[in-house]
Amino acid sequence: MPSMKNKRFNLLLIVAVTLMALWSLWPTWRDYSLSTQLDSFTSAQDSLKYAMSHREEIDNARKKSLKLGLDLKGGMHLVMEVDQVDLFEQKAWNKDGKFAAIMQNVRAKATQSDARIIDLLSAEFRNENIHLSRYFYDIRNSDQEIVTKLEKESEEALTRAKEIIRNRIDQYGVAEPVITTQGSRKIIIELPGVSDENRVRNLLKGTAKLEFRLLREPEVMVRTLDRINTYLAQNGQNGAAAAVSPTATDSSAAAPASVPVAAAPLAPDSKQSSAKPLYDVIRVSPYGTAYTAERSKEYVVSLLHRSDVQALLPQDSELLLEAKPEMSKEGEKLYSIYLVRKAPELTGGVITEAKATFGSQSVQPEVMMSMNSEGTSKWARITGANIGKRVAIVLDGAVYSAPVVQSKIPNGNSVINGIGSLEEAKDLEIVLKAGALPAPVRIIEERTVGPSLGADYIRAGMLSLSWSFCAVSIFMLVYYKKAGIAADIALVLNILIVLSVLAGFNASLSLPGIAGIVLTIGMAVDANVLIYERIREELAEGKSVLTAVTQGYDRAFSSILDSHVTTLSAAFLLYTYGIGPIQGFAVTLMIGTSASLFTAIVVTREIFHLLLAKNLMSDKSFG
Amino acid sequence: MRIFQKTNFNFIRYRKIAYGFSIVLLVAGMVSLVVKGLNYGIDFRGGSEVVIRFEKNADVGQIRSVLDAAGVSGTLKQYGMDRSFLFSTAFQGDTGQLKSLVSNALNDRIKGNPHEIVRIDAVGPSIASDLKWSAVKALLASLLAILLYVGIRFEIKFATAGVIAIFHDILTVLGLFSILGGLFPFMPLEMDQSIIAAFLTIAGYSITDTVVVYDRIRERIRGQKPSEYERIFNESMNQTLSRTIITSGTVLLSVFVLFIFAGPAIRGFAFAVFMGILIGTYSSIFVAAPLVYDWLRITKSSVRLRGSKLS
Repeated sequence: MPSMKNKRFNLLLIVAVTLMALWSLWPTWRDYSLSTQLDSFTSAQDSLKYAMSHREEIDNARKKSLKLGLDLKGGMHLVMEVDQVDLFEQKAWNKDGKFAAIMQNVRAKATQSDARIIDLLSAEFRNENIHLSRYFYDIRNSDQEIVTKLEKESEEALTRAKEIIRNRIDQYGVAEPVITTQGSRKIIIELPGVSDENRVRNLLKGTAKLEFRLLREPEVMVRTLDRINTYLAQNGQNGAAAAVSPTATDSSAAAPASVPVAAAPLAPDSKQSSAKPLYDVIRVSPYGTAYTAERSKEYVVSLLHRSDVQALLPQDSELLLEAKPEMSKEGEKLYSIYLVRKAPELTGGVITEAKATFGSQSVQPEVMMSMNSEGTSKWARITGANIGKRVAIVLDGAVYSAPVVQSKIPNGNSVINGIGSLEEAKDLEIVLKAGALPAPVRIIEERTVGPSLGADYIRAGMLSLSWSFCAVSIFMLVYYKKAGIAADIALVLNILIVLSVLAGFNASLSLPGIAGIVLTIGMAVDANVLIYERIREELAEGKSVLTAVTQGYDRAFSSILDSHVTTLSAAFLLYTYGIGPIQGFAVTLMIGTSASLFTAIVVTREIFHLLLAKNLMSDKSFG
Repeated sequence: MRIFQKTNFNFIRYRKIAYGFSIVLLVAGMVSLVVKGLNYGIDFRGGSEVVIRFEKNADVGQIRSVLDAAGVSGTLKQYGMDRSFLFSTAFQGDTGQLKSLVSNALNDRIKGNPHEIVRIDAVGPSIASDLKWSAVKALLASLLAILLYVGIRFEIKFATAGVIAIFHDILTVLGLFSILGGLFPFMPLEMDQSIIAAFLTIAGYSITDTVVVYDRIRERIRGQKPSEYERIFNESMNQTLSRTIITSGTVLLSVFVLFIFAGPAIRGFAFAVFMGILIGTYSSIFVAAPLVYDWLRITKSSVRLRGSKLS
């Protein structure tokens, strides 16, 4: 028998743990009862009134209550990857053809393996026998130094990307988003209760790189296009022009295209090599502007990305497409093509404020921007020096508008127009305010659960929990009689502890988490079964109840400890290496196993001591 | 109430039959793994899954043909709950695009039965291989941890036999997944992250069971002659038999409830755990302890155990 003092300590411990568990779960209960109360009102007015008068209590309860995981509540889980290859490309200087070839190799390898990009990069350079210092940082740096610097750079880029994404989400307005980084290039984003996934996706994936670039003169562009056309006509057979026919399979595009300027169709005729391969897909107007139809857009983009085509462009220039199409009179969507300087005059870094509004004279939405002092003076100089010329406003490589500079702009204001809808303008405002990402990001995993399926999951989870609890606790009562009561009390406390720890540490309960609890219900009684079977054996040897109970606990202890430690270590490793939903399962299993160690060894033992002291136990009490 | 009064099974004598049974199970599983392989879910394969729920009953064949006509190729299956279907495809692009493609096709072609897309999952190929690797790492690390712990608390022979039993359990369940995969429409038995969690749960449970038997052997074997080992092993297993069966029973009960009520997302997991616990219980009696016995017999060594007195 433990000493009196020890016994009092155990009792205190049990009371303390129970109270802590109840205290931690109290807000969850309040939250639940308040929301049922709110739902019970018949009129919206009453419920609003009630909500207003109990606002603080409702908010408080909600904040501290047990959170439900995305799968139960509905929402979006995204994993995004920062494009480190692009980032390293940005950091390099002296870029030449050799460098481009190496980076292309690295990019190809990166999609196939999960090795770190920096390792792939340095391996590739070693293969080619080129020092990293030829392109990165200082020529005197050793490869190792450069690798360290680039690693630091990518780490910073990841943190920055995370912050910018957080800014965007905060501005968009999602309750309780969770944004974390994983490894060296992944960002995990959890957005509960998001209904417009498409908008969120667009909001997140853009780099938001804003640039102001000067347009080349129209004659230069016409000459360039002519040159490309001639080149394609000569090399039509071996080029991609014959191979790529994106629109030929699209039956909806088969309708005859009528173009305002010329009668030539705007679709690539893929079967035979044409004398005018480029002008089959691009039209040039008499004013020196060029455009392509929507159905040829993909083909034109792929054409413009070909390195042999790019080599034909004038030095430091680039052909870009318009972001949003314009409707022609015939109802066809047309994208303008611009020849712009490669080096931007000004970038989005100088933007301090952005605001989505409607334009002064039209119903077209636009985004007004203002700049910091450095940007303002630069902008004034640029506009002053280029009056009469056109400046393209480029966001993530697409031209939004290319207005003619009318006069010097001294106050640092600029406007993006050519935006489809006000909603889109609002999103642009958000991304411009949040700033540009250091490198492009890609969505590599996305899981969306609608709220109705989430409700189904909750129902299924609760059903499993209650059935499993009933079945196991009734079995324990039948099999062990009075001792079964103690085991059932321990079981209830066990579940309470798991839920309260989850609530207390702000972890959320997911469907795999519920599965973990159900499994815990089955496993938690194991410790009690071990003890009770041992006590039965001791009783069968003719020992008194008191001795049997004491020796049963003592002798079963090492089995219980060993078995719990092994389960705990498996659960812990599952938590360490598992991802997302699996971690939820591992967490509940860990808490449940630890709790059962406590409930079986301390709680049931204390119950027996109390019963024994009151002479309520006999050798029949263990069934 | 008592299920087992005083049992006196001679487990050790019949161990060869059990070995044979285990080997048949394992070989059947391995053959199926090689010939038929496993059904990978999108977690490990990459691709997209869409769960579509209709307002009224809908015909699988009709939906399938509509989606085919819309140019989205993939497989369509009934998804556990009423009027719901799971469409999985290798599509890797923008899920918004996939959603509108599916939605538009169904709206146009199946009139008068509105649908809702209740879930979309998309996993890229690079992350799928990440997930696979972290799963393998978790499994290996936990086996190593168990080997170490049991090795320290008992003896290396005991630890090794315990880990062999875990391998036996996991490989048998893996084999069952391969053999039964795709046979039943209500449980496709696809390998995904939750199955890895199931394997670790099985590993944890299997070693728990084994440790309880070991613990009893350790308690009784101290100072005994090797000629007494057979009797001690048998008696220890008989004495713990009641506990083994009852605990397995309560866990099986819970997992069975999960299988029935927790819905299609958990069903594969519940099946794996259920089979794993059945096999784990069997292996702790018929594989782990007999292996230790044979090992001791063949090497003619006696047991030097640690940590028997801890409390």
